[in-house]
Amino acid sequence: MADYTPRFVGTVTKYVFVESPTMTPSALALRAYEVSEGVMIKETCFGLQVTGKPEEVDRLIRRIREFDPAHIFVKDRGFPPGDPRRCRANLGGARPGYLGHEAEFPLLRYVSHGLEALGKGGGAAPEQPAERREKHPLLDIRKLKDLIEEAEES
Amino acid sequence: MTQKVRIAQLSCGPEYSGVQGEIYEAAGAVDAEIFFPDVALADVMSAVQEFGLDVRSADLKLAIARAKALVEGKVDADAVFIATCFRCAEAAIVRNELRRYIHERSTLPVVSYSFTERTTAGTLLTRMEALTTIARRRALLAREEQTGITLGVDSGSSTTKAVVMRDNKVVGTGWRPTIEVLKSADEVVALALAEAGLSRDDIQAIGTTGYGRFLIGKHLGADLIQEELTVNSKGAVYLADHQRGASTVIDIGGMDNKAISVIDGIPGTFTMGGICAGASGRFLEMTAKRLGVDITELGPLALKGFGKNVPMNSYCIVFGTQSLVNALAAGSSPEDVAAAACHSVAEQVFEQQLQEVDIKEPVIMVGGTSLIEGLVHAMGELLQTDIVVPPHSQYIGAVGSALLASGYIKGD
Amino acid sequence: MAKVFIYPATSLILSDLVARFGHQPLGAALSIRERIQTAGVESPPLQITPEEPKKGLKYAAVEVPSGVRGRMSVYGPLIEAAEAAVIVTDADLAFGCMGCARTDELILFSLRSKDIPILEVEYPRSEEEGVRFVAAIRDFLANLKTEETA
Repeated sequence: MADYTPRFVGTVTKYVFVESPTMTPSALALRAYEVSEGVMIKETCFGLQVTGKPEEVDRLIRRIREFDPAHIFVKDRGFPPGDPRRCRANLGGARPGYLGHEAEFPLLRYVSHGLEALGKGGGAAPEQPAERREKHPLLDIRKLKDLIEEAEES
Repeated sequence: MTQKVRIAQLSCGPEYSGVQGEIYEAAGAVDAEIFFPDVALADVMSAVQEFGLDVRSADLKLAIARAKALVEGKVDADAVFIATCFRCAEAAIVRNELRRYIHERSTLPVVSYSFTERTTAGTLLTRMEALTTIARRRALLAREEQTGITLGVDSGSSTTKAVVMRDNKVVGTGWRPTIEVLKSADEVVALALAEAGLSRDDIQAIGTTGYGRFLIGKHLGADLIQEELTVNSKGAVYLADHQRGASTVIDIGGMDNKAISVIDGIPGTFTMGGICAGASGRFLEMTAKRLGVDITELGPLALKGFGKNVPMNSYCIVFGTQSLVNALAAGSSPEDVAAAACHSVAEQVFEQQLQEVDIKEPVIMVGGTSLIEGLVHAMGELLQTDIVVPPHSQYIGAVGSALLASGYIKGD
Repeated sequence: MAKVFIYPATSLILSDLVARFGHQPLGAALSIRERIQTAGVESPPLQITPEEPKKGLKYAAVEVPSGVRGRMSVYGPLIEAAEAAVIVTDADLAFGCMGCARTDELILFSLRSKDIPILEVEYPRSEEEGVRFVAAIRDFLANLKTEETA
């Protein structure tokens, strides 16, 4: 078995997604470069990947979030950017995690809306807590009785 | 350099079992590359719905979508490797259904495998080699006739076999238990040449197969060194004179068993395995020894007995032997015990392996164990078909090698 | 700042909201990063070696498939470290590290068996639900802070 020598030891990599009507991924990248202070930035189709020492990345992420707080989303990544083990070109297709992002991406606008609404309303919580959607609502007993009677009449 | 064979991987779990590296290594060893067919999330959702199998694991949903992309020709591949965790019921259903789906709707060769964290590249190598051979050497595998004078040697885990073929006929054979791999090979070659009345100089091409194929291939200067899955299926349909159409080849070997679904002489899907030696020729060897008969006498003995009279389940060779000893101590006849042992081995192969290939008639049994009539009879009963045992069936690997090697005769 | 396990552990939305509201999200990336940055035996692509399913025996018995045990060796330590959890209950399309339904069931059970505060929510499918979703998570996380400082 071959030995494994890691690269980028001691760094963290974070994904930065932008889903905004006013800011494109490339515009985000331009502004991020201005405040990067040497933290590695890689542009992607959805936003950025930033890599560096944990405290440097945290600082940069704080600055980036300020650009458009309700429309910029951040997540940790296990791999450094461009790692051949996760690269689409080497795998023949997207790594499975990409599809996971695809699944959540359309929901970001609802989260953005939530963030904006709560931000404007001084942070007050809505009156009702999130309710569970009933997937198969039970038939009301009275409704069932009506249905039986209807069926018997016809 | 030849172009790499592109093997599409449909899987759930290998990267979390620590075996993805082994899969890469096995593929690399046969100059193939593994890739993962590209699909989008929308494809996954629609594919799962259309396929109609409501699995919960998202990685299995992804495997279904990837299989569909292959079958529909949206993604190009030369072969397909389906791998899921051993002991996962959900994945086993998907694995089997995808294998069947791809086999029925495309010409892509498929092998499926259930791994554990102990799976190594070595275990996967023969399967990968067979996959790449089918993808790369279709022209070679299309050969239906042996020409010239060729030698085939099969260095198996229990026995070493050789045949000399001349103008589409077997003219010399040799058989020896495998002791020292090279020495046993030299002995069987000498026997086969003597029977054929030929010398080494007369041989125009040599093919080798079996566990010792690389070692003896180098030693003999073979033109073709080939794993036993493709060679045996080729040899089986050749000897059974059923080179066109569908057939199923079963080879219960000394160390592992092969079940191969063949179409026009080319393997489509196959399984190779044997959870325990209890489902192998080795168990029958032990049975014969315990009964004090030669292995060649076990078959006829078994035909005289009734297996149902003796409780035996040789899932494990140790427990199987224990049942055998108990039965004899309880007064069972050697005939019944022999029949029970044959039935038990046939049942293990049926339960563990034949579920993974689609049985299409004729079913051809080959290898040394195909000479044990009791075993063939038991398998026939389980599959409810008349099993074909072709002439020279014990020399199947050697015949397949000699047949395919004739493609390498200079000027041919 | 509390350590909050997020489910799905690969979720962008949960990872973001937990960090945004001042806590540390515990997700798959942390465990994978640890492996990717540790020298040892090469085992592509995730540096999960065949030893990991054996370590996973701590969380699941040997008859449980190797893929479940290997995944549990990734998640087990995170679950042990978790001081709270936010769970999305309708995450049917989480792949890769979360791609095995049996592992996912075991993760959820392990979390619910622990004596930690847990918030269970569904993904928002409208703007109105988006408000409730964010509020529920924000308030849950704010209460953690209160408990911690109390």
